[in-house]
Amino acid sequence: MEIPRNATIIEVSAYWTWMGEDGIARTKVKPNTAITLKEAIENTEAVKQLRKSVPFPLLVDSVGILSMDKKARDHFSMQNRDTPINAFAVLVNSPISKVIGNFFLGLNRPKVPAKLFTDEQQALNWLKQFLYSST
Amino acid sequence: MNSKKEQNTIPDQRAEEILDVIMSYAQLNFSNKVHITGKDDMIDAISAGINMLGEELESYSLSIKEKEHLLREIHHRVKNNMQIISSLLNLLCENQKDQKFLALVNDCQNRITAMSLIHEMLYATSDFRSTNLNEYITSLSKSLYASFSVPGNNITVKTDIDKNVFFDIDKMIPLGLILNEIISNSLKYAFPENNGSLTITLLRGNPGRNYGMKLIVSDDGIGLPEDFDIINKGGLGMQLICLLSEQIGCSTKKESVPGKGLTYTLELD
Repeated sequence: MEIPRNATIIEVSAYWTWMGEDGIARTKVKPNTAITLKEAIENTEAVKQLRKSVPFPLLVDSVGILSMDKKARDHFSMQNRDTPINAFAVLVNSPISKVIGNFFLGLNRPKVPAKLFTDEQQALNWLKQFLYSST
Repeated sequence: MNSKKEQNTIPDQRAEEILDVIMSYAQLNFSNKVHITGKDDMIDAISAGINMLGEELESYSLSIKEKEHLLREIHHRVKNNMQIISSLLNLLCENQKDQKFLALVNDCQNRITAMSLIHEMLYATSDFRSTNLNEYITSLSKSLYASFSVPGNNITVKTDIDKNVFFDIDKMIPLGLILNEIISNSLKYAFPENNGSLTITLLRGNPGRNYGMKLIVSDDGIGLPEDFDIINKGGLGMQLICLLSEQIGCSTKKESVPGKGLTYTLELD
């Protein structure tokens, strides 16, 4: 996933996050990053800064991720916490991201619709159904 | 062909590290993790998966420990509450002189003890589902002996029970109550001279026998009177024996020889 030059990028220690012109938020993990609860919270705070009047979908590019510990996975599953996200798609184009993605969706069960993709365009097409939707 | 095979071979050092971590997880030691090199190859992916499985396993392991702690606490509280009920019955008996009333309360307290002993045994062991039959019957018979014994009596209670027989709580509570009634009746009525013996034996069914276990409670007391009307004179104790036997699918046979003793045989699956 390319980082656009003209968007306002929120950069935290492990992620770059921005709102796409299509109303779909994006977040991209930095290369060779181990995600712990600290990085996970930073990311969700960044995503919250994109808050609009209605919930919005999020595209996560996890290629380059090294690991994600249990506390981070539990945090990202969004159980018992407020979030502006109504669905998210995860791009898994590397062996590690594929394992982490499958593990996350299989065991941590996020409270909003979530799906893994290897193709960015297919992920965006799937996320479009959640634009301007409250669920 | 050869180069492809080489590519698919896991380098020994990384494979050994993965194995070491799996072994430590098998021993419920979750402090080890597989190092992820950052090459983002298949071995890194396997390593990431193993690390995450270890974290989940650790979390489940802690959750099981917490539940075990809660279960132990529940059994402890149930046992304590039963003791409180028994103490309240004691208070009820203060200043009471009616022997019939006192005997009824004593019977009730013994039934409560028969059940609370099981909860006591359950929280004292690491297995919260089953109790050891030998230990239970030994404790129960001691408790009943203390309840009914009179100074100077010469009644002996012997047990011959396999130490490796366990029953789960669903079966042990009804069985405990049945045994409580049988042993209580013997201690109360079988030995008017306060002299004799009561034996509790467990026979395990061998292949070819049509029962799993036989629990035999026999005394060498006076036996039941020949004209004993079990339906009208049996009382609550006899009713409990019948109802609870039915509940746990156990057939109960009674054999009385006047002047020689009474034997109860419980056939259990």
